[in-house]
Order: sequence, then structure tokens, then C-alpha cells
Amino acid sequence: MFRDYRKKILESPISVLLPVSGLIILGLATLFSITSTQGQAPPNALSKQIIFIIPAVIIMFMILLTPRRIIHKYIYIIYGCIIIAVTVPFFGEKIAGAYRWINIGLPFGLQPSEIAKWVIVIALARYLSDHNLKMKNFDAIVVPILFVLFPTMIVFSQPDLGTAFVMIIPVFTMLFWVGSRPIHLFLIIAPLFSIFTAFDVLVFSIWAGIMAVVIFLARLKLWHALGLYFSNLFLGLIFPLMWGSLRSYQQNRIITLFNPELDPLGAGYQIIQSKTALGSGGFLGKGWGQGTQTHLKFLPVQESDFIVSVIGEEFGFLTLLIMLVLFSWLIIKIIRLALNATDRFSSLVLVGISTIFLTHVFVNCAMTAGMIPVKGLPLPFVSYGGSFLLSCFMMVGFVLNFGREK
Amino acid sequence: MLKSPNSASKSTYWVMIGGVVLVHTVLAFRFFQLQILDFDIYNRRAESNRIRAMSIPAPRGLILDRHGEIIVDNFPTYILYGIGAEIINEKHNYNVISQSTGIDTTILKKNYQNYYRNRFVPTRLAKDLTINQLSRLEEEKNELSGIIYKQFPERAYNQKIHASHVLGYLKEIDRQSIEKLGKDNQFEYGDLIGWSGIEKNYESSLRGKKGVTYYQVDAFGREVGKIGGQENILPNPGKNITTTLDVSLQQLLETELRGRRGVGIVSRPETGGILAYVSAPHYNPDLFTGLISNSDWQSVIADTNRPLLDRAANGLYPPGSIFKMVVAIALLEKKLINPQVEIFCSGSYEFYDRTFGCWNQNGHGKINLEQAIVQSCDVYFYQVIQKIKLDELAEVAKQFGFGLETYIDLPSELKGIMPTRQFMNRLYGRWGWAQGALLNMAIGQGEILVTPLQMARYINMLATKGKTRTLHIVQNKNHNIPEPDISIGSWNLIQDYMSKVVTAPKGTGRRSNPKIPGLKIWGKTGTAENPHGEPHAWYIAYGEKDGEMISVVILLENGGHGGEVATPLARNVFKHYFNSNKMKLAKK
Repeated sequence: MFRDYRKKILESPISVLLPVSGLIILGLATLFSITSTQGQAPPNALSKQIIFIIPAVIIMFMILLTPRRIIHKYIYIIYGCIIIAVTVPFFGEKIAGAYRWINIGLPFGLQPSEIAKWVIVIALARYLSDHNLKMKNFDAIVVPILFVLFPTMIVFSQPDLGTAFVMIIPVFTMLFWVGSRPIHLFLIIAPLFSIFTAFDVLVFSIWAGIMAVVIFLARLKLWHALGLYFSNLFLGLIFPLMWGSLRSYQQNRIITLFNPELDPLGAGYQIIQSKTALGSGGFLGKGWGQGTQTHLKFLPVQESDFIVSVIGEEFGFLTLLIMLVLFSWLIIKIIRLALNATDRFSSLVLVGISTIFLTHVFVNCAMTAGMIPVKGLPLPFVSYGGSFLLSCFMMVGFVLNFGREK
Repeated sequence: MLKSPNSASKSTYWVMIGGVVLVHTVLAFRFFQLQILDFDIYNRRAESNRIRAMSIPAPRGLILDRHGEIIVDNFPTYILYGIGAEIINEKHNYNVISQSTGIDTTILKKNYQNYYRNRFVPTRLAKDLTINQLSRLEEEKNELSGIIYKQFPERAYNQKIHASHVLGYLKEIDRQSIEKLGKDNQFEYGDLIGWSGIEKNYESSLRGKKGVTYYQVDAFGREVGKIGGQENILPNPGKNITTTLDVSLQQLLETELRGRRGVGIVSRPETGGILAYVSAPHYNPDLFTGLISNSDWQSVIADTNRPLLDRAANGLYPPGSIFKMVVAIALLEKKLINPQVEIFCSGSYEFYDRTFGCWNQNGHGKINLEQAIVQSCDVYFYQVIQKIKLDELAEVAKQFGFGLETYIDLPSELKGIMPTRQFMNRLYGRWGWAQGALLNMAIGQGEILVTPLQMARYINMLATKGKTRTLHIVQNKNHNIPEPDISIGSWNLIQDYMSKVVTAPKGTGRRSNPKIPGLKIWGKTGTAENPHGEPHAWYIAYGEKDGEMISVVILLENGGHGGEVATPLARNVFKHYFNSNKMKLAKK
């Protein structure tokens, strides 16, 4: 039996752990700088993170050793359970203005939506591989979208916009992977763009142009094309009117949903601080523990969501570049494993997980660099946070398992 | 299951890889732009220009009395801060500040150490600066580095009254409480938070929302301008709170109790609203704002009069004879006595081998229930109490709130004790106590303990025949007093007796009558024996005139006989209230 385990571990694409270890070390070095400069005695973010790595690695190996058919067989049941679990915090107490955590008497809160990310991916992989779908048809993608939309809407209303975003994106890459037409995926996202661009005439005009080109290139039937195009334009035009008819407190409620960090120090202020910290780091950074801007402490959640600005200030552009190389190495490696996988289920699981990682990296870095509004999403393996670290290592476990050559 | 083959094409794969590379390239380029291309801009901003965000304190809500008179106000003071990272010469700084303000350098240093969080956050050096000190400091601004000040609204109290136990005080929030309250509540070290009384209970309404001001400062900590596109957030002042208190009545009662240890509570029986709430001696709420010096604190703690204790809510006393109405009602309701039957009082009562004395050692002679209450005869009650069981008595007492919280809107109150059989068994063992204990309880002694607030509720229930509302200073905490199950006959009888306590020539409460035409008063005195010396003097009463009713509870610790020392205080309250009320009505 143990020989069997040894064989399984040796057959798995163990080199995936190289970029992961690099990122973990980078994260711990940064947490060390934050905790030691600010004189926080253990238990602090650093010590807690180190302690969390141990169970995370054990669970990763347990997942690696679980037979794939077991995962395949029970994933729908797990999917059902996780939907209940993400609903449960609604009945619990509100922490930091959101219902995300379950309190089951552990010394830390559990966040089921972290686990839900990959459960949805695996369940969707089963659905897409069990049924022989004609992916070229538009109706084939409706069920998968609903499959994901339901848990996403629950998480969205918690409200946790960032996690909801991470949940919804893998559907598109996975559908694309099994051969859906890109134009169909585009049409699903188009109405959202129409609504969000409607606030600025120039942006909306550009969007209308892009939409026209894409619909033209897709060579749809004339009536379909015109119908789609004008219904999208109509949506964009009607939305500002609807928005204007809302009362100001209702508008505020929606704005805070999309920008939950509207705290007294102001989201705009965080971005200024974050950009100043990053920019003043330069090529090589100010040195370990020397970041004047990050230790201003005006930057909240610098050990989790804004850790990139600490890295950028203290270790400089070069280290951020190395970090991005490590991430792309990891993600491209997973996609290559997906291409080489023999069965469709494994391949889809790998694609989904790679997308989760990619979304996290993009949203976190872009937020820190002031490219998109603040969305509390941590950076895989680098940011501080127990639930999230555990979830990341579980996903690595699945990569090692499903990337294994038979 | 795992049999459908992987159908992914090479071109799909390359599109995906392209996507990953694109995302990472975009991010890398953005980092390149910030860190390499715009390095000079951000480096300059980080090194020579610091963006400072300062919170603007929100003024706390005012506390008003029922007529809108301000009880607690705010007045502006200035606080001086130092920013560690921007201070160039610490010693020089302190010397300059000391010279222009007159504050000792050791105090500045001590404050800096106390409030220090880290070298980038403004740390408090001194508070309560006057505009004069500030303007002298402003002249020396070029000598200083990293020194800033901001305006801070501080609590100012109405000069006429103290009401310290009701209003409560503010205290600087300590580290433990900050962690408990969490960062959402936007507390900073050194912030003031309601620590007792209304200030604590209504903290969330009184506390406003802080604002934020953003500005750029140069290397010397001088403000050089605003940051474009970053609007200041204005503070949101706290809500004003209107209490049920009446400043003039509170003032009168405080004067009456000056130099004594005791409690006075005036309330309106129909609503439960409290007009005056005095626990004497009082303390000075200013004591707690700012860092309290150790010697000040020690002197308050060591004061044997215990000024910090809110005697009205947290003082426990035996009720003495004011408990007799409960006993009488319990016996009447159970039809265990005939109020007309007379009992002979010789001044003491033999019970097995023990002698129980009456307060009047000469004896009251032949006496019925009415006279037993009017003259507060103890022997009468020693005899009739033997007809009832302890648990039956406790049941009626509970209906009057003995042993139960009043649910007043203050942060802490005690429940007192109303013994039951079970309680006594637990305390003394099954055979450790005897019927004699019940005799003591008949006159409100023994194990029974009450707070003056409970007695305020009790007199309000007697005044309204059980239809009173929960006591409150601002508003009722959604709590209702259940109406006791007592027949109208008993209510009327007891009210009649209580009226005679004041009007009868031998009535113990006759000194409480200010003799205002049209004003009728009902009352009961109490003299509670206790191991700490002289008995506590009680008087509970209510008065009505032209449909207006107020109730009064007076307790004087170790004051002596209730009928002699407590009743004159109640008379002055009635006199003040119903006279000034008449004037007010006349003005209308």
C-alpha cells in the first residue's frame, strides 16, 4: 500500500511545488518584515502563517493520494453540501460587515466560500465530461452557467464581490476548453459591459464600436446580429435612467457593494498609499524592513490584500517581476498538464484551477497598482490568511493528482 | 465516468497560454510604469512629501433635560501631537513647546511615551491647550518639526447639577477595549468613550462619525496644501439625547443630599420617567478625562464614602418598614387577616426563646392593620406574618419587583435579594433556619435586600395600582412591568393607609406634607437596622395634584429614623415641584 502511495507521489508532476515554494518563501519574508518592524510579538501574522502551512501540506498530500474516481463520484454531493455551507453564514453573526465566516467553535473562522471555488470547478468538470454536449450550440452553455451562477449569487450577496468574481470566471475558460464558441461566451458578458460602461459617453461609444466589430466578425445571421446589438445598446441607455430613479441611499448601498472598502480613511486614499509605496520602491526596493510607506500603517490589510505593495516597496520591481514569472510558470505548467491529460474530467479540473489562480493574481495585483477598484482578494501563497492558504494547497493537491500520468 | 477523452485542441491551448502571458505582461508593464518610469514622482512623494490623513473628531451629542436645558455640552480645546518620523530634534522641540505653553517637558515626554503607537502616527503630547498657548506656539512654528495640533470638542457639564452617576463619564479607551470593539468602530488610542451611565448606555447614538482630512506636508511637517481629487470627509456629529431629568428638581435634591450619604429618586409613576436621580456623594466626571494621576485615583478609591458607587442602582439595603405594604397585601389577598381585628402591642414580642422588639418600646397598645401601617407597628406584623408561608410572601414581593432588575436604561444595576424557601435552605441548610427568620422579614429586615431604584418602581406600582411603566432616563428598553394580580379592594385599602401615614396625627410620614392646597400625599417611612451603625432612613411617597403625580424615594445611609430625617427631604421635593409647576401652568 505504501509502495502504491510512493508510486503515486513520484508519478505526480512534483515540479509544480517549485514555484509554489518560491512564492511561500516570498510571502513569509514579507510577513517577517511587517511583523518585526512593527514590533508585533507572536502570535502574529508570521507565526500563524507558518503554523498553517503544516496542515495545509498534509491535506495537499491527502488529496494527492485520493483516487480520482472517488473525487469524481462524490463531487456532486460535496457541491450540494458547499451550497448549504455558503448559505449558513447568513444565519450567523456579521463579521466586518459581511456574512462570510462560519463559527463552529474553532479558534479561527471558517470561510466556506474559499473551498467553494474549487468544488464548483470540479463539479462543473464532471458535468461537462459526463454528458456528450454539442458545445457549438448556444443552449449547451446555459446549464453550466446556471450551475455556477447559483452559488456565485449567494456569495455575491454576502457580500463578497471578489470571491464571486473568482467563482464565475473559470466557467468561461472551461467552456472554451471543451469547444464553446467564443462569441457565445462574449454574448453572455456583453450586457454587463453595456451596463457598466453606460456611465461615461466616451467609454460607452468605444464599447459600442467593439461590440459592432465582434458581432460582425462572428458572422451571425443578420436579424440575430441586429437584435443583439441594439438590445445591448438599449440596455446601456436605459440603465442610467433607472439608476437616476433610485434614491440616494439605495444608490449608496449598491456602490458600497462594489466597493466594500469605503471606510473612513477612504478607498481612494488606500490606492494613493499603495501606489506611492510601489512606485517609491524603484528597481531594487528600499530593503528588507525599510519601507517607510508601508509601515505608515495607513495601509490596511497590508499583510493580506495589499502585500504586493509591501513587496514592491521593500524588494523592488525585480522581485515583483520574479514573482510574476513564478506565477506564470505555475499557471502555464497547470494548463500544459491539462493539455496532456488523457481524460476530459482531469483536463477540465486543471484548467479550472489554473483560472482560479490567474484570476486571483490579476485582481490582486491590478487592485494594488490602482488599475481596478479595491476588491478584497488575497494573493495565492503570498498573502496572510489561514482559510485561503489551506484552499490554495488543496488546489495544488488536485493539480498533483489530476496531472499524474497513468 | 472518467472515460470521455480529452478533446482539447492545440489551438485552444495556445489561446489559453496567450491569455496567461498577456495578463502577466500587463501587470509587469504596470509595475514597470509605477516603479521605473514614474519612480521619481513617487519617490519624491514618499520622501519629501507625505500625505497625511488626520481624523477630525466628531462632537458628541448633547444631553438635555426634559425642558431642553443642556446638561452636558461640548467646548473646543486643542490637542498637540508629535509625529516621531518627522521630529528632527526631540529635545529642542520639547524645550520650545515648554517655553511657549508653560507645560513641563517631563509631562510632554511622559505623554509621548504613553500614547506612542509607531513613528508615523501622530502621538499626543498635550491636551486642553488654550488659544493663547496655541498662538504663541504658532509663532515658533519654524523652530519645531513634526508638531501638529487639532481641535477637539470636550465635554462640559452644566454648572447647576452634578448627576454624575446618571450621566456617567468618558474615559480614554485602552488597548484591550480597542481590540474588543474592533477596527470597524474607528476608535483610536486616546479617544474618549462613554464608560458609565447614559454616556455608556447611549454611546452609539452620542458618538458621531469621525471625518478625515487629507493634506500634504513637507519634510518639516508643515502643511503645504491639499491633495487634488481627495475630498475631505466631514465628521458627523453625534445625536442629541433628551432625558426625562428636570434640572431644577435635580439641583434641589442634590442640595438636600449635600454632605450626606444617600439616594434621592423622583419619578413619574404613570410613565416611569425619572425626574431626578441623586446618589450622594457625587464624583467629578472630569476626573476621568485625560490621564488620571495615580494620586487622584488613590484618593477617590480610598474615600470611605465611596463616591464612585451609584447607590441608587448598585447599593443594597434592607428595606425596613417600607416592606410592610407587601406583607399586608399578601395577607389581604390570601384572606388570612381581617384588617379590623386589633392586636395588642406591648413594645416587644416573645417568640419561643427570642424577644422581637417594636421600634416604639412603650408599645402601641391595641392596634389594627390601618394603625399598624400608619404608626409602623412591628409587633402587629410579627404576629400576622406567622399565618403565611415564606414562598407565598416571596411570590407577592416578586410581583412588586423585589429581587428583579428594574431594566432601567443604565449600564449596571443589582437585583437585590428576595429570599424563598429554597434560598434559605441553600444559605443555612435545611434545618439551619427557623420561623424566626420570617418574623424579621415581616418588617423588611433579615435577608431581604433592595436597591433604591427597585423601591422607586415599588412606590410607582403602589401609586398606579400596578399600571406603572419601566423606569427610564431616556427611553424604555422595550420592557414592560407585568401587572400584579391584586384585587382592587386591596389596592384601595393600602392607598388609604398610606394616605393616613401622612395625614393622621400619629402618622410617621406627617413631616413630608408641604400643605399645599389640592396636593394629596401618600407615603411610608422605613428605618432599616444594619450592622454598620445607625439605621438607614427610608421614605417612599407619591403626591398628586390636578392630575399630576410624582413619586419620591429617599434613602439616607445611617441617617436614623425615616420619619424624622427622610420625610423633610420629600416635603421639599413636593413643595418645589408642585409650586414651580403651578407657576408654569399660570404662565401658560
